[in-house]
Amino acid sequence: MRTPFSLNARLAAVAGATALTLTVLSACGGSRGAGGGSKSLEMWTFKQSHVAALRNAAEEFKKQTGITVKVDVFTPDDAFTTKVQSSAKTGGLPDVLETHSDGDDRVFGAAGIVGDIQDQYKGAWLQGIQPAVRDSGLVTDVRYKNALNPEAKDHGIKKGARYSVPLTVGTFGIVYADKRKLAAAGITKPPATWEEWMADLKATTRGNPGTGGLSLGLQVAATGLTWVLQPMAFAELGKQDYMSLFLKDKSKDFGSPNGLKVLKRYDELTPYWMPGTQTLTIDQGDQALAQGKSAFDVGGTFTLAFLEQNGMKADDIMAFPMPEPADAKVKDMGLGPIALTSMCVTSTSKQPDNALKWMRFLSGAKVAARFAKDSSDLPAAQLGAESASVLGPTLSALQKSFKGTSATTYDPNNGGVDFRAPGYEQDDAGAALSDMTPLGRQSVQGTADRLRQINQAAWAKAEAADK
Amino acid sequence: MTTAHRGAGAADPAPLSRAPGAGRVRAAPGRGPRRRGLREAVTGYAFIAPAVVLFCVMGLYTVGYGFTLSFATWNGFTPHWEWVGLDNYADLLWRDPVYAPRVHHAALNTFWVMVFAPLLTVAVSFPLAVLLNRASRLQGLLRSVYFVPYVTSGVAIAFAWQYILQPDGAVNFLLKTVGLGSLSEPQGWLGDPATALPTMIVVTVWGAVPVSMLLYLTGLQGIDRSLLEAAQLDGAGWWRTNSAVVWPLVRPITAVIVLLGLRESLQGFQSFLVMTNGGPGDHTNVLGLEAYRLAFLKDLAPTLGLSSALGWLLFAAALILALINLRALRSRT
Repeated sequence: MRTPFSLNARLAAVAGATALTLTVLSACGGSRGAGGGSKSLEMWTFKQSHVAALRNAAEEFKKQTGITVKVDVFTPDDAFTTKVQSSAKTGGLPDVLETHSDGDDRVFGAAGIVGDIQDQYKGAWLQGIQPAVRDSGLVTDVRYKNALNPEAKDHGIKKGARYSVPLTVGTFGIVYADKRKLAAAGITKPPATWEEWMADLKATTRGNPGTGGLSLGLQVAATGLTWVLQPMAFAELGKQDYMSLFLKDKSKDFGSPNGLKVLKRYDELTPYWMPGTQTLTIDQGDQALAQGKSAFDVGGTFTLAFLEQNGMKADDIMAFPMPEPADAKVKDMGLGPIALTSMCVTSTSKQPDNALKWMRFLSGAKVAARFAKDSSDLPAAQLGAESASVLGPTLSALQKSFKGTSATTYDPNNGGVDFRAPGYEQDDAGAALSDMTPLGRQSVQGTADRLRQINQAAWAKAEAADK
Repeated sequence: MTTAHRGAGAADPAPLSRAPGAGRVRAAPGRGPRRRGLREAVTGYAFIAPAVVLFCVMGLYTVGYGFTLSFATWNGFTPHWEWVGLDNYADLLWRDPVYAPRVHHAALNTFWVMVFAPLLTVAVSFPLAVLLNRASRLQGLLRSVYFVPYVTSGVAIAFAWQYILQPDGAVNFLLKTVGLGSLSEPQGWLGDPATALPTMIVVTVWGAVPVSMLLYLTGLQGIDRSLLEAAQLDGAGWWRTNSAVVWPLVRPITAVIVLLGLRESLQGFQSFLVMTNGGPGDHTNVLGLEAYRLAFLKDLAPTLGLSSALGWLLFAAALILALINLRALRSRT
């Protein structure tokens, strides 16, 4: 049966349908770059606590340059990483990213997501950054050599390239406590040793087993390993033996007497975890302290800002570095300041010059001081003599933990040189550790065996990839 | 008619060639329909072309791309893929000391979900549908109420369950309130490896029951009432009627529900990602979640090929299950 439409009408309909389809397709693949205008930048961060401070800085930046900066946050970290990856594939990246330092920046650099800024980030700009973190984002010879292994996540980085500018510094392994709960348990000062900390935990949980314990976002499996066990093991064993836990030599790895010693020590926390801490994300672990569900919380220097954002007053917080065991090889351990977050220019930015201008603006001493106040975080820029007054008493106290020599200072990044096997899976190790504590499903020996297995497997893979 | 024309043409071809006008007139009936047919075909093809292009781009291309990726290592950004043949499959199944144990563990967890989620879905939704089918009042309202879990956003449901299942959540509170505090879970129902996976299965079932119940309800309403009356006349009670008459009649629907449940258990991971992220430890890690991790949560390590290979392994498993199910369905109906 013939349709009652003329050929022209039918062809017009086909043309219309095709145009509509193409419109839909082009809408799906549309680029964000075109709509921004030449005086508009976009920046993404994964740190909720930085958003307000960045927006305040953006207002000031606009006054000075006329350039608008739109700041968006994608949190938690996994969501941010996924967002960046998918946007990179669809051409939807912003101009500037705030990423984890000495990790994501190099990984994104190797993947071509962010650009090399060595020609721009130098001279006075570089000198304005704290000396301890000036090499952050730089592909040094050692970093380049490590990345040559195909198993390395930053495989493909260019020697001598710089992929990021540090924005904030700090460290992990800072313990936060609710002063009111401590006072109720008769505790008035921070513990000097690991043993004293265990005694404090015993005291706070004695009266309140449900709300007197230690919260930590153990749903992110590696947190217990990297924020508690590693700094404690560094102090307990000393730098070289601590590093050996992750090396190939079985006489000194987690299955060795040294490994068993630190695992037993870590297992002492078992009675004191907040109920259900293994189901919490990192943010939820911090929120638990702010909401009075726990008495202690382990985080980093950056945690203070988040606690304050969640309603905790600075006066109610006692903060101290992870205390070392009484028989520790490293006494009075320092916590090395590392670059925690950094800024990168995406390789697809239509305005790299403006993006760099914005990053340099954030690195300025005055802007960094304002950023520190607004975010309660430690900026990477040098603040000068007025640092203490800018940072306030709690942040200044945390900054005092940045001390000591290389041998007595725990640096989570080991100066940006990873001594573990390329491709080592921290999450797998963290999951094994969780099975021991808080879950209590694995013995210390069983955990040591599993950690050795994970370690050896990573080394075997790395060596196979090298060949 | 046609033979007469053909005959005339054959007998006197010359006038046709000499008379152009006549030739055009006589040729039109032959070329006209062909041209019209061609135009119609072109128009038809042009109409379906957008859909075909969409299918080729969104369907065939991506499927083909994913399949070829399963034979390569790539992080999604480097200019070249490195072809590794069947290495990704071998690494996932037995060879790689890092990935294979994780996949085995996730496969075991997935297996338990595949066994219990469809079984419990059927066990809950069939009786519920039978009861709802008998309800003489408020059937529409009840049907809507039971359907609420299905129309609510999955992520919102997952977060709501997360709060309900916490150590100080509603489930523990309820148990303590009614004097069953000894049954409460001090670590939260998602915090104890012994209860986390069973709890996730219950949440999965809770989400699957509405559609299953609706399917059963449709089947129940399609049953010839004379069959039920005959059973009752033969002295069958409520239980006997439902177990010996109704249940066999809705068996094809049961097969569909089980198949849907198996597919969801095998490939779905949304609630696991939001509620447990595979934890505590990795006690609720499932294959779908592992594939997602390999694709997106490995810090751009070149594991996209592994993820793709795992996806294809899941597809193969789903295909085998579907075929088994189809076979079982054919043999019973």
